[in-house]
Amino acid sequence: MKLKNESFKENITGYLFIAPQMLLFLVFLVYPIIEGIRLSLYKINYQTETFIGFGNYQRLFSDPVFVQSTFNTVIFVVFIVALTVIFALFVSTAIFDKNAKYVSFIRGAYYIPVMVSMVVMSMVWSFLLNPANGLIPFVARQMELSTVNFLGDKSWVLPVIIFVTFATNVGQAIILYIASLIGVPKELFEAAEVDGASRMKIIFKILIPMVKPTTIYIIIMNIIAVLKIFVVIQLLTGGGPNNSSTTLMYYLYNNAFKYNQLGIASAVGVIMFLITLALSIPQLRAMLKKN
Amino acid sequence: MFGNKNKKEKLDIITNSIVLFFAILSLFPLYWLLTSSFKNSADVVKMPPDWFPKTFTMSNYVDVFNNQPALLWAYNSIVVALVATIALIIVSSLAAYAFSKLKFKGKNIIFIIFISSLMIPKEVMIVPLFRIIQNFDMVNTLSGMIWPNVATAFGVFLLKGFFDSIPDSLREAAKIDGASEFKIFYKIYLPLVKPGIGALFILNFVQVWNDYLWQLIVGQDATSKTLMVGIATLMQDLNPNFAYKMAGATVAAVPMLLIFIFFQKYFTKGITIGADK
Repeated sequence: MKLKNESFKENITGYLFIAPQMLLFLVFLVYPIIEGIRLSLYKINYQTETFIGFGNYQRLFSDPVFVQSTFNTVIFVVFIVALTVIFALFVSTAIFDKNAKYVSFIRGAYYIPVMVSMVVMSMVWSFLLNPANGLIPFVARQMELSTVNFLGDKSWVLPVIIFVTFATNVGQAIILYIASLIGVPKELFEAAEVDGASRMKIIFKILIPMVKPTTIYIIIMNIIAVLKIFVVIQLLTGGGPNNSSTTLMYYLYNNAFKYNQLGIASAVGVIMFLITLALSIPQLRAMLKKN
Repeated sequence: MFGNKNKKEKLDIITNSIVLFFAILSLFPLYWLLTSSFKNSADVVKMPPDWFPKTFTMSNYVDVFNNQPALLWAYNSIVVALVATIALIIVSSLAAYAFSKLKFKGKNIIFIIFISSLMIPKEVMIVPLFRIIQNFDMVNTLSGMIWPNVATAFGVFLLKGFFDSIPDSLREAAKIDGASEFKIFYKIYLPLVKPGIGALFILNFVQVWNDYLWQLIVGQDATSKTLMVGIATLMQDLNPNFAYKMAGATVAAVPMLLIFIFFQKYFTKGITIGADK
């Protein structure tokens, strides 16, 4: 009887300790997910809600702007993630065994844009790219390029956004790779060095395979981050010209807060939720195994 | 052998020069932001530009603070980031301690479900989340911006590892002495996980400070705008003076730069925690 009492008490103590966090989790995360799924099946008009099954989803797939948003988002994910991984690997393998001051300077230089946020960086880039008085169009004019309005030109707008997003966020991946490379046991590549293996060979045959878990982590985190890309679209292009740079998150935002299409917006949210959930499962598995 | 080594170093020098070149290039937009913010409205649009401002003027900053409620925006941003972070530290350290040290029914399954939400961005559920905020009457309030940020699993995820690394024997000894669970948590364990709390504080503060979309949706009226939302409205302003917009952006960027300079080691530590697993 006493033993039972004891374990009962410990249960209660445990629940009390997690209660505040769980309450917030239920109210602001679990409930919105369930409610989001429900709303995605309804046509919502201010106070009235009509059940329409998968009607919102059907409407989505027949909306060319949604198709364009999905296409752009996929393009952004593929190119930004690939650029990030390749460039971050290039930088970190070049510097990780150099002296600490140099490493911390390089790391800082690439990380500072991450710190000052996408809003600030988008503002600077919007100034740099401004066709009337921006630095980049000025240089383009000097070089007699045909385009100076990079954000107003359909064929330039996606590459420019890819570049700006990549340049602003690559610092995060660089920090992760440097930490991971510093953790690789020195004997592993010193032995290869003695055998006369070139640095290139050491990088490709030893270092890159050794940091594979970090690569997977970076890929997943970046896919999720790029999937919800919004700020740079809103501040640089507004989705234009002619919807050519719109993304899923921007489409969701417009439907929810401009066109008052809450059902449609919820359906986009559910699709994005399912994608992130599917993507995060392998990473969660690895993390839970270690725990 | 010797020749091989020389060749090796040459390649290393070339790659490092490229790395250094791009590192400086990556700082250039910030240099441009900072220097433009001190130029007057004529110089800022001059082509070819002054690579270094010829005249330093503070007038853009005066404009930002006088003609725009930038102080109020900054105050809102500080309150939102600070309160959200302190609240997260309180609730998540309690929960992380329980998940690490206490035994209770359903602990593992609750933990797995909770941690599974780690990578789900709240942005995808923004419609139902906004309706909740409406029901709580929190639209245009700082509370509306704060609470959804405290629901994240990030705090527990980061702190649990720190609690795990402290032996259970401390708790058992204190129990025998008759200390209450809360006292053990507060007096013994909490001081020992200070480095984790420090990392959580910095990372989450920056995260909330820079969290634009949610603040944009919740803070619609003039008095509840945060700095990020405020400066973004400057951007969409018809005022063609870019120097003034850059001054606004600088005001939002400087606190983050200072935090980075003073707390660099926390970033490296905090950011790498997820990847090492």
